[in-house]
Amino acid sequence: MRQIVCACGLLLTFLHTPALADGAARVVRIGALLPISGAGAYFGVQDREGIDLALDQLAKSPPGGARFDVHIEDSACSPLPATQAARRLLDGYRPDIIIGEECSDATLAVMPLVLQAGVPLLNAGSSALRITDPGNRETFRILPDEVMQGEDLANHAYRDLGARNAVLLHENTNAGIGNAAIFARRFAALGGKVVQTIGFGRDVNDFTAIATRIAALGPIDVIPTYTLEGQGLKITEALAQAGVVRGGGGHAVQLGTIWLPLGFDQQAGKAAEGYVRIVQFEPRDPRPVVQDFVAAFQAKFGHQPTHISAHAYDQIMLIADAVRRGAATPAAIRDRLAATRGFSGVTGSVVFDEHNQNVSRDTIHYVETEADGSFKPLDWK
Amino acid sequence: MFVLAVQQGLNGLVLGSLYVLVALGLTLVYGVLVQINFAHADFVMIGAFSAYFVTHALHGDYLLSLAAAGAVGALLGYLVNAAIFAPLLGKGSELRPLIATIGVSVMLENGALALLGPVPYAFATRYSAEVIRFGPLYLTAQSVIILAVAATAIVLLHGFLRFTFLGKALRAVAQDRETAGLMGIAPDRLIMLTFIIGSALAGLGGALLAPVLVLTPFAGTSVIVKAFAIVIIGGFGNIEGTILAGLLVGLIEAMTTQVLDPGLIDIVVFGLLLAMLVIRPTGLIAERREENV
Amino acid sequence: MSDVPSPVAAASLPAAECRPGWPGRAGAAATLGIVAILPLVLRDSYGRGLLIAGALNVIQALGLDLILGFAGQLDLGAAAFYGIGAYVSTLLVMLAGVGFWPALALGTLAAGVMGGVLALLTVRLRGHYLAIASLGFAVITYQVLLNWISLTQGPLGLYGITPPAGFTDPVRLFYLIAACAVLVFAALRALLASPVGATLAALREDEISAASLGIDCRRWKAFAFAVGSAVAGLAGGLYPGFAGTLVPDAFAPADSFGVLAMVIVGGIGTLRGPVLGAVVLTLAPELLRGIGDARMIVYGLALTLVVLFMPGGLDGAWRMAAARLRRNQAG
Repeated sequence: MRQIVCACGLLLTFLHTPALADGAARVVRIGALLPISGAGAYFGVQDREGIDLALDQLAKSPPGGARFDVHIEDSACSPLPATQAARRLLDGYRPDIIIGEECSDATLAVMPLVLQAGVPLLNAGSSALRITDPGNRETFRILPDEVMQGEDLANHAYRDLGARNAVLLHENTNAGIGNAAIFARRFAALGGKVVQTIGFGRDVNDFTAIATRIAALGPIDVIPTYTLEGQGLKITEALAQAGVVRGGGGHAVQLGTIWLPLGFDQQAGKAAEGYVRIVQFEPRDPRPVVQDFVAAFQAKFGHQPTHISAHAYDQIMLIADAVRRGAATPAAIRDRLAATRGFSGVTGSVVFDEHNQNVSRDTIHYVETEADGSFKPLDWK
Repeated sequence: MFVLAVQQGLNGLVLGSLYVLVALGLTLVYGVLVQINFAHADFVMIGAFSAYFVTHALHGDYLLSLAAAGAVGALLGYLVNAAIFAPLLGKGSELRPLIATIGVSVMLENGALALLGPVPYAFATRYSAEVIRFGPLYLTAQSVIILAVAATAIVLLHGFLRFTFLGKALRAVAQDRETAGLMGIAPDRLIMLTFIIGSALAGLGGALLAPVLVLTPFAGTSVIVKAFAIVIIGGFGNIEGTILAGLLVGLIEAMTTQVLDPGLIDIVVFGLLLAMLVIRPTGLIAERREENV
Repeated sequence: MSDVPSPVAAASLPAAECRPGWPGRAGAAATLGIVAILPLVLRDSYGRGLLIAGALNVIQALGLDLILGFAGQLDLGAAAFYGIGAYVSTLLVMLAGVGFWPALALGTLAAGVMGGVLALLTVRLRGHYLAIASLGFAVITYQVLLNWISLTQGPLGLYGITPPAGFTDPVRLFYLIAACAVLVFAALRALLASPVGATLAALREDEISAASLGIDCRRWKAFAFAVGSAVAGLAGGLYPGFAGTLVPDAFAPADSFGVLAMVIVGGIGTLRGPVLGAVVLTLAPELLRGIGDARMIVYGLALTLVVLFMPGGLDGAWRMAAARLRRNQAG
């Protein structure tokens, strides 16, 4: 009985006809693999907001008369649920393109499936190098990869902050381990010394012991930290309590990645003073496209957008841009995406290299958190 | 070096006190019911969120929120016992209540998720930012509160069990339910009382943990498996043993973080657990529980 | 012997209950027939993926039921043996170039040996002590898989794992796994009908009396644990080809409770029970997807209610229904 119900349900979805070729009310089907449950679930919440806003705006002025439909499946930031979600998406919804996932583990797991189905994958959340480096035709990424982020951070730490030693803190995941390794390699190559690398699981209860351990190492210049928002907040507080970082009267500067949304500093309070991080999206960016986006977002949701929402918004808009240039099938969308020029999103412009990695860095910059929770942009080249 | 050891020791004691509060509830319930409540972790989580609600929505004092969390925990304990353990008492398979509490745990966690969302809540009290330094050592005011509250709770519990009539009756029921019943003590009521006390402690523990943990609906799961380990290392149903084991596990965590790697904490703690079971299954402080040896 | 499980009988399974849920010829044929046509009914990769997941769960549930229902030992570490089977077999193939089938056999063996060792170490324990010890073992196994990065790649995961040659088609892979499930079922049935089954039943009912009868409880406990864990290891060896990637998170200690729930909900101490439980609990979260956000709440509620109000589990309900049907026909 249950199998029959299941089969009927699937049959009904098969009957949903795909996009018509002759432009009359053409529907572009965007599948989304987002973490709705599990540790990364807050990514999913923020992604959805960005997607919803983009869809609203596209509905008002559809490019080339096309309509956009987004169907979300829960990939839970983890490989096995992600592959199951990808299967549901590919078989049931038959998307023209898929966006996702946030977590490198999950993205890497779904890539073979999506490749086999001939559907392009647009990613804006995972930093693992392996996603674009091997040169997968179907996979695109607009976020800088871990090498771009890590080496850049190490360069600036050494040259602009004058850092000569570092302690690396990372969560024990693909992204955490990978990012930390890149930084360590570059920093050492420049002549810096990585005093310790401390990895921890996502379920650590208390960071006080870790902070004490770092405090006992003597003066440390920089502490690159690779972790999710919740843990990141606790680490910063613990480091301040131990008197390690500037916010606690110490010497060290914590370095963060694009991972941390901008509201983080306000929550950490004084402890976050002196925190330096890479950002790709900033609400104060004076470009009209950003200001309009922020205003519309604030009006719709009642709070400021994070970079995750901004990335999700840009993904939809980028796809719309490809469609506007005349793409109707998955293969055509892929080709138009690869040829993207002159697209300027809220997270910056997009130019894909031969590996479909976005190499444009016009909005990438560094900010430092002030004592009052605001942050000032750093004038680093 | 010595200072470092003492500082980590302090860190360990604070963490251990939190573990003790959570584990005491489990061990108390096990003592009278010989059952494990898997939803215990979620009592901790709900206690934490109750405290959050009182401090951030109602703008109450943090210390008041501790009491609120305890009360909420007590209520949850009452409900779970009434709905699951009491009806199944004596009715054979000891596994059914266990699995039923797994179902309850799934419901509570996902209910909280639907209500509160997955984004971690930042719970900051004015005590967690305040750092007290004495010489080269430091403690946050939050840690001092944790130590004080935990110590008070333990002393009160100990006194209750040892010196009051109700407490002695509880111990009698733990020893031998039937005989206690024959002697005019109502085992069902006492089991309910035990549950309420144990769950109140869990709620209180949650409120104290809230500023320390990453606060999401799944926050309880990181604590509960360690709590199980503590209950065994200390000896099932043994209060003093659980207290000792809880503090010990906290210390081990801090020392492992210092000397080895935070990622290895679980291996060390559970390695110790297995070693204890092989060498000394009755627990740190042996009691007369032959049937489980 | 009554077919209707009274609450007392269900509570402590009578030793005479050694033919629980034996399917007759007709039942066996019908089941095999259904299994054979299922992948032809569900033609999409998602549905077939679900079938494979269900078959793997059936094998795991059967293994756990041997330990739990038939030998009466509370094992909360089932996920660990599943993981050992998966990693040992996969690493042998990837690092040592061993063929799939020998690797599968070795993975199964490894899981079985670890299960036996765990049982021997904790031999003096009963009841909840053993439960927590097995849970502790699951935690340690998970942490080892996570931290021994040079061997297992830890959280970075192993990618690009393929099913064995000749079985890359999901339909054939399903038939392979389903065939294994059928074999495990038949093997367990034979085992339990033999004198070994009676020994295990004695061990389950009353260890002290069994010892007084000359049964070496230690050895038989280890035996049950070893066989049950080997079965879990077999399922583990078949899993990576289906999933394509292997990460330690797939074997988190909490997953043991999922398998336990399948056994309890299905009907502990029966052979049909774990099969029913595995099938229902694999399908339920997927079918509930239509409900959306309340899905897991409903799942938890259903689990609680079934356990509270159906003492014999699904198998018990099946038999009550069958008995009632027979009574109606007879009277």
